[in-house]
Amino acid sequence: MGKLVERPEPDVIIQSYLPEVWNGMKRTSRHFFANLLMKKGIATIQYPDEKVTYPPRFRGNHRLMHREDGSVRCVACYLCSTACPADCIHIVAGETDDTDVEKAPTVFEIDHLRCIFCGFCEEACPCDAIRLDSGEHRVPAFCRKDEMSGKEDLLSRGAPSVSKQGGEFK
Amino acid sequence: MPTLKIDGREITVEEGTRVIEAADALGIPIPRFCYHPGLPVAANCRMCLVETNRSPKPVPSCYDICQDGMEVQTASEKVKEARRAVLEYTLLNHPVDCPICDQAGECDLQDLYFDYDCKPSRHAFRKAHKPKARTIGPRIVYDAERCINCTRCVRFCEDVAGAPQLRQVHRGEKTYIDVFPGTELDNPYSLCAADVCPVGALTPKDFRFKCRVWFMKGVQSVCGECSRGCSVRLDTFKNEVQRVKPRHNPNVNQYWACDAGRLAYHRFDEGRLAGTRIRGEEVAYFDAVARFADAFQEAIGGGKQVAVVLSPFMTCEDAFAALTLLKAKAPGAVYAVGGRVEGEADDVLARADRNPNRAGLDKVMGAFGIQPVPLDTLHEAVHPVVLVFGFEHEEQNHARMALQAAELSAVFTSLDNLGDVETYAFPTVTPYETYGTWLNEFEVLQRVRPALKVPGEARQARAVVADLAERLGAPLDVASAPGLFDAMAVAVEAFSGLKLDDVGPFGIKLSEKPADPSDEPDAEEGAESDDGADAEDAADIAEETAATEEA
Repeated sequence: MGKLVERPEPDVIIQSYLPEVWNGMKRTSRHFFANLLMKKGIATIQYPDEKVTYPPRFRGNHRLMHREDGSVRCVACYLCSTACPADCIHIVAGETDDTDVEKAPTVFEIDHLRCIFCGFCEEACPCDAIRLDSGEHRVPAFCRKDEMSGKEDLLSRGAPSVSKQGGEFK
Repeated sequence: MPTLKIDGREITVEEGTRVIEAADALGIPIPRFCYHPGLPVAANCRMCLVETNRSPKPVPSCYDICQDGMEVQTASEKVKEARRAVLEYTLLNHPVDCPICDQAGECDLQDLYFDYDCKPSRHAFRKAHKPKARTIGPRIVYDAERCINCTRCVRFCEDVAGAPQLRQVHRGEKTYIDVFPGTELDNPYSLCAADVCPVGALTPKDFRFKCRVWFMKGVQSVCGECSRGCSVRLDTFKNEVQRVKPRHNPNVNQYWACDAGRLAYHRFDEGRLAGTRIRGEEVAYFDAVARFADAFQEAIGGGKQVAVVLSPFMTCEDAFAALTLLKAKAPGAVYAVGGRVEGEADDVLARADRNPNRAGLDKVMGAFGIQPVPLDTLHEAVHPVVLVFGFEHEEQNHARMALQAAELSAVFTSLDNLGDVETYAFPTVTPYETYGTWLNEFEVLQRVRPALKVPGEARQARAVVADLAERLGAPLDVASAPGLFDAMAVAVEAFSGLKLDDVGPFGIKLSEKPADPSDEPDAEEGAESDDGADAEDAADIAEETAATEEA
């Protein structure tokens, strides 16, 4: 059983609402004039004229990194798709002409409708091939097809990576 | 019979047993690279070192013979340190290209590195470079940098395949395996050389970069390439067979299987019969069943001669279901057994009869008192009604000729390879999608298990037979594989008293089957749905896989 609480009977001053109206107007006016005269304190960002810079560890659109000669660093080891909890990475492996590398993806697709941007794929990657550090967030698309990123698309966002592949003394 | 103690556990073994075999029998793990139970001992990898009271230094357990009163330590600090040092040396020039190596995930080097070493390399110089991705045979690619020179493949080719095609070349860190000049690794068992490789040095071309091993699910089944019926494991991923590996079976194939059988799954890559057809036109399955059953009823009512071509690829259960129906409805039918034409036998495994279940089919037909006529004489007489089971008759034209001559004909097949000569075509399953038993030439009964989902319109042959039987007014008592097996155990003398559970991972020799129990199991009691059986089977498979991996 609940406890009975007595409600105080509001007096005439409270029932007129005037003191609270005055308090509210006072606060609104103070912010209005403060913002009008001293612009520094404004929290609002004037999107799209202004944009927030994301922190460096922000996980956005995926990209595939390049070797020095511009080819894809990925060797289709499937560790990213193994680690992926959303099962969004589809890889088909094939042979390359480069005999040092042997293996490369012929298909590398990311289904952004499934991806949860957890970053497990870049953690798992032994070749520094996939990264989520493009700094772009994923924009919505009008059809499902546009939410699939293929190898060309991922490579176009990529950049040369200088990390050593296969250890120090190759 | 020496008695020895391994890690404090006593075991009595046969004279001449190696320490590693005794440890395996006790389930004590000893790491190894070069030792393989099916190959002669080389003792060159030194990974299986153990301490004994017979030697001041650790000794390779694969080479040491068990002696009476021996005390073996397999996990002492000295042994662990010795193995760690051996492994570090083995890994000295290893390229560590696991991301592109097909063996990654089932590699002994990887596993033992995590068990024993787990430290970065202390090798501060350039690694030795050797040939990579070298095609040394039509089905095998060799990577010399990954190779640890255990010579399992060399010994396999010499002693098992009987084709000494491999050898070691050069000395020291430059050693690698190579074929003799001008030859290649092309013996019919070459894929087993890749199987015995404990690392990713020899890899099958067929499986190269196809799938990572940790994605695959293994199903224990039987190879259908010849009447030996080798025990195999079908590794599947995304409802496709990715590779076929032999599975240890002392009754049938030891550790091996031939290349042809392991690549035979490609036969079903194309040309599957997609839908039920009447004279080439696709129709709904149950319409076709109804129309065929009515036509069949009318034909046999008119006293027309029925001819049936059975396939030695059918499971015993499918054959039993089909014969049960045909004996009831068309007692005067003429039977022939088709199948693939004879191939060549060899001294290792392959048999001349390229069909897996001819012996089983004979036993089932025998139970119905059927004397089959030779297939090539079938078209000499006129048979207005012809039924053909199976997909593999294309090598012999006789089934097609019999179909062409018939007024009413039906084929029950997975492959669309007889041309549109039949009136009715019912899509059935391949040996990779079915569940049942095959009896090999040496009378070992083994279970065939489905690795793939049945695609589209296709059905188990026994299910189609059951639907026809329903429509013909002679319904089968059971139509599931385990139920049919139990019914067979009553009706077929060779299988009498046998239970499906008796057929273990190694199959069962009919000569060694348990004695016939006095109360024979009732066919209907044993009936279960296919699904239930499959679920049970999954547990079986898990158990069996664990058992074989331990072994």
